[in-house]
Amino acid sequence: MPIIETQSLSRSYGRRRGIEAVDLAVPEGAIFGFLGPNGAGKTTAIRVLVGLLRPSRGTARIFGLDCWRDGRRVKAEIGYMPGDLRLYSWLDGAAALSIFGRVRGRDLASYGRELAERLGLDLRVKVRKMSRGMRQKLGLILTLAHRPRLLVLDEPTVTLDPLAQLEVHRLLSEMAAAGHTVFFSSHTLSEVEQLCDRVAMIREGRLVANESLEALRSRAGHEVTIRWRDADAARATEPPAFLRLAKRDGLVWSGMLDGPVERLVRWLTDRAIDDLAIGRPDLETLFQQYYAAGEERR
Amino acid sequence: MCLTPSPRTLQFSWMNRGLIVKAARELWPATLFCGALLAAFEALLAYVLPTLQGQFAETMLQLRFMQTFLSAMLGTEVSNQLGPETFFSLSWVHPVVLATVWAHALVCCTRVPAGEIDRGTADVLLGLPVTRWEIVRSETVVWLAAGLAMLVAGFVGNELGGWNVPGGERPRLGRMIVVVANLFCVYVAVGGLAWLVSAASDRRGPAITVVFVILLSSFLLNFLAQFWEPAERVQFLGLLNYYRPLYVFRDGTVPWRDMGVLLAAGGVLWTAAGWVFARRDVCTV
Repeated sequence: MPIIETQSLSRSYGRRRGIEAVDLAVPEGAIFGFLGPNGAGKTTAIRVLVGLLRPSRGTARIFGLDCWRDGRRVKAEIGYMPGDLRLYSWLDGAAALSIFGRVRGRDLASYGRELAERLGLDLRVKVRKMSRGMRQKLGLILTLAHRPRLLVLDEPTVTLDPLAQLEVHRLLSEMAAAGHTVFFSSHTLSEVEQLCDRVAMIREGRLVANESLEALRSRAGHEVTIRWRDADAARATEPPAFLRLAKRDGLVWSGMLDGPVERLVRWLTDRAIDDLAIGRPDLETLFQQYYAAGEERR
Repeated sequence: MCLTPSPRTLQFSWMNRGLIVKAARELWPATLFCGALLAAFEALLAYVLPTLQGQFAETMLQLRFMQTFLSAMLGTEVSNQLGPETFFSLSWVHPVVLATVWAHALVCCTRVPAGEIDRGTADVLLGLPVTRWEIVRSETVVWLAAGLAMLVAGFVGNELGGWNVPGGERPRLGRMIVVVANLFCVYVAVGGLAWLVSAASDRRGPAITVVFVILLSSFLLNFLAQFWEPAERVQFLGLLNYYRPLYVFRDGTVPWRDMGVLLAAGGVLWTAAGWVFARRDVCTV
């Protein structure tokens, strides 16, 4: 049974588009990346999941419970960090852990202090005197301190320095290894690639991909780079139909291969090449493919 | 594998201790400020008004417009005789006193949800495992306690300011308590209205403006009703129609009906606010 499940989930803001017929299933224990450009509907979907917005149509369930009707029970076991995090200016880290702990009926102080140490945050500093990065760290501490079964994070590392980002990646990996589920949206594709088992991509409010990274990569074909031995040969040769060239720059061709690798190897057998590189595309390439396809259709 | 959260998290609760602590941390500066202001102003009025009563009464009775003005403030016809009760009442209907009490109610009752959405903290608050009604109830407990503390400070200030007034010329303690209780009922009604407007708003500034305009209209209605017949006919709609300390000080009657109307209005408005808040979408972007 998936830990997050949405069926035909739609949410509109009058004439403004939100999300449309989103079907999502996030398995327990996964690190799930939720991708999309600004305004695609990522934050709207997350807000419906944490019960801030009511769906216009469809259902959203976490732990099998309705996100709107059973919001309190759902939120007892999740840690949610909004994208544009704002905290109470009068709080300091210690007071925040104490108050949030009382709200949750749990002692968050000891694990909160441990997290603060790992992220390098002084818990005595008032929020009003914190930088954006420090506030983000405090937000993460408050989100993780009760060791939730499910983490819902909206661009959690966007204002963090590279060292803190690394530490957050380690923390998320540790939590996933311990059986917790992480659902997070991000613009940093390398981060998603490094952390996630599965990804979903949303474009103009609709889900365009929802599968494991490996499956996405294998469906997308192979990235190919060919280096010719001489420029004349490179110029005189026409690429086959199964090779979609993105770049043809003197001696170097690069592009995507449709179909099996053998076909390309056979085609190159009698040709004068210096070097050949074939690999699976990275997430950035996949992401661009999905969004470029959408732009072309419009 | 069991996917249902543990039973501990399923318990129903009326309020949340953490939210009460949070609300108290946010409200104490405003309460301290308004309480100190009210105490100081009440002390000043209690000290000055009886001392100058003789001179004031003589001057006021000679000036017709002053009588009208006094009648408008007290919400009733002031006869040709200005007794000490009139002056006791003045210290509880003075515009500064009403403005302080109303300002406190406005500050407290527009924080959630309008204030939280406005400053962007609603996401964090509503991401916690509490129902929206729990938030309303917890905030309300702190709001009412803070309002009571402020009015008690005003009462203490009045008592301290009147220490030099001979015992026979002081208002009876019981009547003073009734007046403060009546003012608390006004505070509850104003707060209920502020809760409702806030529950339907995303911005705190406009919410405060709307409530302020309604209160000002109510104040003016009470004022105009003393000398303008059309206003007198709809005077029952005004908040201050149910707050007349002069009757309490003069006759010793407990205004059960007035207090009941104010508490009922506050209760209905507050319930409507909770209902609206529990069903609305919250969007900070």
